Amino acid sequence: MPVRDFLRTSSKLSPFQPRYEHLLLLVCVLGTVLPLGVDCNTSADNHQNNGTQKKSFPVLSFDYLHVRLPFEIALWILLASLMKLGFHLIPRLSNIVPESCLLIVVGLLVGGLIKVVGEAPPVLDSKVFFLCLLPPIILDAGYFLPIRAFSENTGTILMFAVIGTLWNSFFMGGMLYAVCQIPGTGLENVGLLPSLLFGSIISAVDPVAVLAVFEEIHINELLHILVFGESLLNDAVTVVLYHLFEEYAGVGSVTFMDVLLGVICFLVVSLGGVFMGILYGLIAAFTSRFTSHTRVIEPLFVFLYSYMAYLSAEVFHLSGIMALIACGVVMRPYVEANISHKSHTTIKYFMKMWSSVSETLIFIFLGVSTVAGPHQWNWIFVGCTLLFCLVSRVLGVIGLTSIINKFRIVKLTTKDQFIIAYGGLRGAIAFSLGFLLDKGHFPMRDMFLTAIITVIFFTVFVQGMTIRPLVELLAVKKKQETKRSINEEIHTQFLDHLLTGIEDVCGHYGHHHWKDKLSRFNKKYIKKCLIAGERSKEPQLIAFYHKMEMKQAIELVESGGIPKIPSAVSTVSMQNIKPKRALPQLSKGKEEEIRNILRSNLQRTRQRLRSYNRHTLMADPYEDAWNQMLIRRQKARQLEKRMTNYLTVPANHPDSPTMMRSRLSSDPQGYSLKLNSGNVPAIVVDPATPQSPESMKLLDESSKPGEEDQGIVMRAKLPESSRTDDNVFTPGEDSPKEQRLIRCLSDPGPPPEEEKDDEYQAFLN
Amino acid sequence: MGSRASTLLRDEEIEEIKKETGFSHSQITRLYSRFTSLDKGENGTLCREDFQRIPELAINPLGDRIINTFFPEGEDQVNFRGFMRTLAHFRPIDDHEKNKDPNVSEPLNSRNNKLLFAFRLYDLDKDDKISRDELLQVLRMMVGVNISDDQLGSIADRTIQEADQDGDSSISFTEFIKVLEKVDVEQKMSIRFLH
Repeated sequence: MPVRDFLRTSSKLSPFQPRYEHLLLLVCVLGTVLPLGVDCNTSADNHQNNGTQKKSFPVLSFDYLHVRLPFEIALWILLASLMKLGFHLIPRLSNIVPESCLLIVVGLLVGGLIKVVGEAPPVLDSKVFFLCLLPPIILDAGYFLPIRAFSENTGTILMFAVIGTLWNSFFMGGMLYAVCQIPGTGLENVGLLPSLLFGSIISAVDPVAVLAVFEEIHINELLHILVFGESLLNDAVTVVLYHLFEEYAGVGSVTFMDVLLGVICFLVVSLGGVFMGILYGLIAAFTSRFTSHTRVIEPLFVFLYSYMAYLSAEVFHLSGIMALIACGVVMRPYVEANISHKSHTTIKYFMKMWSSVSETLIFIFLGVSTVAGPHQWNWIFVGCTLLFCLVSRVLGVIGLTSIINKFRIVKLTTKDQFIIAYGGLRGAIAFSLGFLLDKGHFPMRDMFLTAIITVIFFTVFVQGMTIRPLVELLAVKKKQETKRSINEEIHTQFLDHLLTGIEDVCGHYGHHHWKDKLSRFNKKYIKKCLIAGERSKEPQLIAFYHKMEMKQAIELVESGGIPKIPSAVSTVSMQNIKPKRALPQLSKGKEEEIRNILRSNLQRTRQRLRSYNRHTLMADPYEDAWNQMLIRRQKARQLEKRMTNYLTVPANHPDSPTMMRSRLSSDPQGYSLKLNSGNVPAIVVDPATPQSPESMKLLDESSKPGEEDQGIVMRAKLPESSRTDDNVFTPGEDSPKEQRLIRCLSDPGPPPEEEKDDEYQAFLN
Repeated sequence: MGSRASTLLRDEEIEEIKKETGFSHSQITRLYSRFTSLDKGENGTLCREDFQRIPELAINPLGDRIINTFFPEGEDQVNFRGFMRTLAHFRPIDDHEKNKDPNVSEPLNSRNNKLLFAFRLYDLDKDDKISRDELLQVLRMMVGVNISDDQLGSIADRTIQEADQDGDSSISFTEFIKVLEKVDVEQKMSIRFLH
């Protein structure tokens, strides 16, 4: 059996494969090939046994057939993921060769292996590609599209996408037709329309390939968005041209009427796709408004609505890619305001995961299809295709840039143009479109496919591998790695307003004017409908600030260290910050007491643990933090009761929910004690009281949690009410008059011993 | 309309403005027609009310401050040259201007001057520092009335803490420049005046 041969050869090879990873890869590859070789044999066995005689009850049977399809799919995905793992274990390789190249090579190997086994390798089915593999990548791109950069460069991107692709198609088609007409090449049967069709297939820049390569080179945002935006938006052009030429290639001629219809079709396809996307995006945003009770399925809505947008667009032959992008872009701000933080993380990671797997599968299948597909190699055709691809791309970019630069504020330099031209990679979309061609109408389909694959290989391998050293060589600006600071956000908004104002003074309805109008419309009408509750009124700046604080809080917890507070102000805000507490020096008796307290408390903890199931998922961090804050306020109250004589405190105000939430973020006003110049809350201690140094230090310690937890606002108590034992939290009872009550000692308070115990208790709680 | 505008504006004036601000001839004429359309009193100067008549400027949070930048210190009228001088800050930077002779003074639309213009909008008391109060005022204008003072205060504190390097709890011009070094000011603070 061929399988056994493989196993023997692998064991022979293993002494020569010192690295563990290589062995792993080999085993996995074999594991993929194995079922494909075995299944035909087992199916025959099963069939035979059923008919003839009564046999003993099968204790263990082997029935591969009925799980074959999901098994193979899972196996392919597993192979793809293991490949990805493997590449990063080999350090030097991932720096030189982009992942996409390696994946294609793996695909070639796997395809070769399958062919050697004797099976027909699976080809990248266009239906699978367009319906399953492409949408996750596009959705990922659309959802995380940098809107600001995209909207500032929309004109340029559209020029490149529409006019650039048209130029490419017609130039390629025309030149190839001219070449084919040269007698003696054997290509005379390639008519004008088929060559134009071929030109339209091959000229589209592929988003998958661009993403795969550009992600690794970390180029600056402008170039990235230009090339990437172009690859996304040229889908409409490709769809129209493809269908136009395919329709009429059979007929043999295209009239002017058809061209006109084609233009109208283009407008319908692109605008219709965008409209479909916007519609679904708004519905998704509206749905997310009501998901506060079912947080678990929030991410599902995002994915489902986007996929529906794509499919609905495909139903009408509109541009599915543009629908998907529009849906993601429209949906995102509203959905993010409505969903919980955990759902947001889920969406992000699921999208990244799916798009990553899709991309890997696409490249592997490209490799496999290369081995599988019927090929017809024609040196002249393939060579000319390659040449004209490069030439038309370069000419197109140069020509368009010279027109575009007249309208741009920041001109595109020659370096930029070079990168844009060089980054025009072709990929799997071209292959799938070529694969869809009907052999009956296009007898030269195999030749086309061969040429397409060659171009794809060339762009991905040669251009993909060399673009990184070229970027280094040309010293192209790289991406800014650091996150946006609050300063940048404030000043950028400030400048936006300033520029809008100046534009109004000039009477010039430019970019800023329309952006301002749109955001005003958004704030007034749309946000009210689509965002639940209080968040609809939250200005962008505040939302940004909250996000930033939360991120910093999470980072601090992850780094686990003492929070660095340069000026004890405004840094961390969320519930899971537990600052390091320096324990005071204890006497033996105190230690024993602490142990007793700990023991009793720990026993109580067990009863308090909740069982975790998906119906009792933890609430929103805001709500969580709020609850925690309430608990802490209670404790602080208890603590404060013991320390009423020694603290200078402001009062808390009856707050609206927004302000309550804002209080979770820093609340330095709560501690703006004018006694000190610094921002450290001062503890006014009257030296006349009989206080031991021990408890004084303890006061310092105990007060620090209050300061750093930030949610605690201690309330001053009047001496008469210091004995009241209100454990119930009543937010509204403080009057604003109790603002800056500086309390000197009038009441010596309870004896120090008792006090210290309670402090320890509160401290340890 | 166009011919009427250019007869009111003498050619020498156009040349002077061109040299001072760098605008082209057609841009100057176009902006002059805008100037005259705003100038309801037809006396060749604009007053504050003329600016306030622009509807969009009224709803702009920075509207008043923008209007004030047009008027030189203590005056209530601005003529066309002053108008152009302020607008010159927003002209896109030309490539050939980047390699200018260092002896010649910086053009009005250099990056430094653009930033200085923005800085002056924050710094109302002209002490070359953006204090916490000035920052708070701007934040309050941009954010609206729903947010509490405390929260704005914490944002302001955070902002100053991030930017402040010499520890004076306010943002000086150099610190302002440093904070915005990653922002593409040349593009953000430029208006594409049509040719």
